[in-house]
Amino acid sequence: MRPALALLLLAAASAVGCRREGRAAGETRVVLRYQPLGGDPRPLQALVAEFERANPGVRVELQAIPNASDLAHQLLVTALGAGAEDLDAFVLDVVWVAEFTRAGWLDDLSDAFPPDRIRADFLAGPAEAVVREGRTRAVPWFVDVGLLYYRSDLVPSPPATYAALEAEARAAMARAPGTAGFVWQGRQYEGLSCVFYEALWGHGGSALRGGRLALDTPEAVRALAWLRGLVTHGVSPPSVLVAAEEDARRAFQDGRAVFMRNWPYAWPLIQDPASPVRGRVGVAALPSEDGAPGAGVLGGWQLAVSARAPPARRAAAVRLVAHLSSPAANLVLALAYGRNPARRATYGEPRLLRENPFIAGLLPELERARPRPLTPYYMLSADAVQGELSAAVSGLRSPAEALRRAQAQADAIAGVAP
Amino acid sequence: MRAAGQRRPAALLAAPAAAALALVALLPLLATAWLSLRRRVLVFGEDRFVGLANYRALAVDARFWNAFANTVYFTAVAVAVELLLALPLALLLHRAQRGRGALRAAVLLPWILPTVVAAKLWALIFQPELGLLARLLPGGAPALLASPRLALHAAILVDVWKTTPFVALVLLAGLQAIPDDLARAARVDGASPLRILRSITLPLLRPAILLALLFRSLDAFRVFDAVFVLTDGGPGNTTEPLSLYAYKTLLRAGSFGLGSAISLVTFLCVAALGLVQVRLLGGRGGALR
Repeated sequence: MRPALALLLLAAASAVGCRREGRAAGETRVVLRYQPLGGDPRPLQALVAEFERANPGVRVELQAIPNASDLAHQLLVTALGAGAEDLDAFVLDVVWVAEFTRAGWLDDLSDAFPPDRIRADFLAGPAEAVVREGRTRAVPWFVDVGLLYYRSDLVPSPPATYAALEAEARAAMARAPGTAGFVWQGRQYEGLSCVFYEALWGHGGSALRGGRLALDTPEAVRALAWLRGLVTHGVSPPSVLVAAEEDARRAFQDGRAVFMRNWPYAWPLIQDPASPVRGRVGVAALPSEDGAPGAGVLGGWQLAVSARAPPARRAAAVRLVAHLSSPAANLVLALAYGRNPARRATYGEPRLLRENPFIAGLLPELERARPRPLTPYYMLSADAVQGELSAAVSGLRSPAEALRRAQAQADAIAGVAP
Repeated sequence: MRAAGQRRPAALLAAPAAAALALVALLPLLATAWLSLRRRVLVFGEDRFVGLANYRALAVDARFWNAFANTVYFTAVAVAVELLLALPLALLLHRAQRGRGALRAAVLLPWILPTVVAAKLWALIFQPELGLLARLLPGGAPALLASPRLALHAAILVDVWKTTPFVALVLLAGLQAIPDDLARAARVDGASPLRILRSITLPLLRPAILLALLFRSLDAFRVFDAVFVLTDGGPGNTTEPLSLYAYKTLLRAGSFGLGSAISLVTFLCVAALGLVQVRLLGGRGGALR
């Protein structure tokens, strides 16, 4: 009985296999690995169907990868490192482009997307991230940026400086007891790194020197000391040290915090009819030390083509990338999924201004957004850096000591002799 | 003593099992050992023999020794507390007359729950503003998982909650193997219940205790899931055990050589721990003799 069943299953499996091969003959199959955008899958499927109609003989296969960024990274690195051929086009995080380029996994897209056009059409941050050494390696798809959310009923105007943020938080906390001042992402993970880089830029620093991570700098020490100070001075509750985006968002949305650092995704949730703080929240640029509008961390996803894909599939994949990153597609992603367009021109679209003024209004913040250090070793060092940042904000080590250790580990990973 | 003629068939019969073991246990182990002598970074196509450089790096790596200390502390405290709590629990279960089956099933519940689910539940309980702990304590809960001193203890608490039932069950099995006649005879001789416990129950329970100790310490030394869910090693790596450090080095930092070295060191620690305890078990009155 058992062997017979196994044989039957085997036969069925091979029949399915044959059928798929048969269907694939005569047509070009292009595999796109992407992260589900959330919500209704139909608008994206419609975009893909439109591409298939315009390109007879090309069939696009959508394959999902995990939404968690580090899991998606592991999956793609393992697949591409092993020379996998079942992915022709894929999405990649803004901080992976340098790494994947150095690995030789990204096809040169400069013919279809000349670097000049990328710089002219797309926002400055993502354009800087995808053009490596004068060649276009990926095309920005949608973007994300760190923002300051504030309670407009508790705070007269959004603070421009760190000192004003602390003062306004204290004043509001005195008026509304039981409210925390400023919530952010302090758990040991990439969110903490984003908060740290924003503080570093706000203190006039930069974490990149000669293509290498530079963490052991006076500005970095001051930035990290400021974050630790928020906790020790009581402006931020100790719970921020275990908080990720959603922990911060829930606290803020329940009315338990005056300020929050978070991404644009939180806005529609905060404006939900059931939200206790609906209509009492504003969004502003992050503050800085000197009062100039601070730069938020640039997040977001790019589309790239695998350098290992066979030529016919590669050509089709490049056309698919062009279709999915077109101005029309940018608008679909913004309206259907609330994703910020990577193209500048989309922010002037009347439909976007009418239907999602929040996204349209983020253009100044997005123009100022900065990518995290663009080094091939960013992802590989990220874990070591996160551990030391966490040690400093939780008070385990002094910021100076933590940054010295982070620098040493990052250097070792990059193969730099100390 | 066996005759030489019986040896060959015996070896032949054992061969399939030995081959399977070699394939699924020995081979990966040797591959890991080989990998630990290389610097291999998949992303950049780096792959070269570096001898013992990875081990030399670990010897002076503060994060490695921190992870090692965390693992030893976690194992020692968690297993000790589990044994101390499980013994009275086992005695209680052994005595219980009515509702015996239901009681045993209820005790086993935490053990049945997947560790990831249990850890998520506890993370909610520990949540400093809305968690159950914050509601029960009058002054609000401390941010347990945010504290470098307390976070590892929170992880130990989760482990104790989850695996004490298992230890209790192992001890219960040991209790049931002790003949009632001994205690009865002692009572006739006028021994007090405490005296019976000390002189009869505990000595005869020794094999079961050692067995529980073996299972639990080997398991606790490889702790991963509870910590991964609760804190992901934070704050500042104060809850990072060896297995999590190995995982992060292998898969997040992409350093296969160094990650393999950490894995192998972890394995050697567990093997040493196991050997010592098996030797103890095999000793006087041992269960594995």
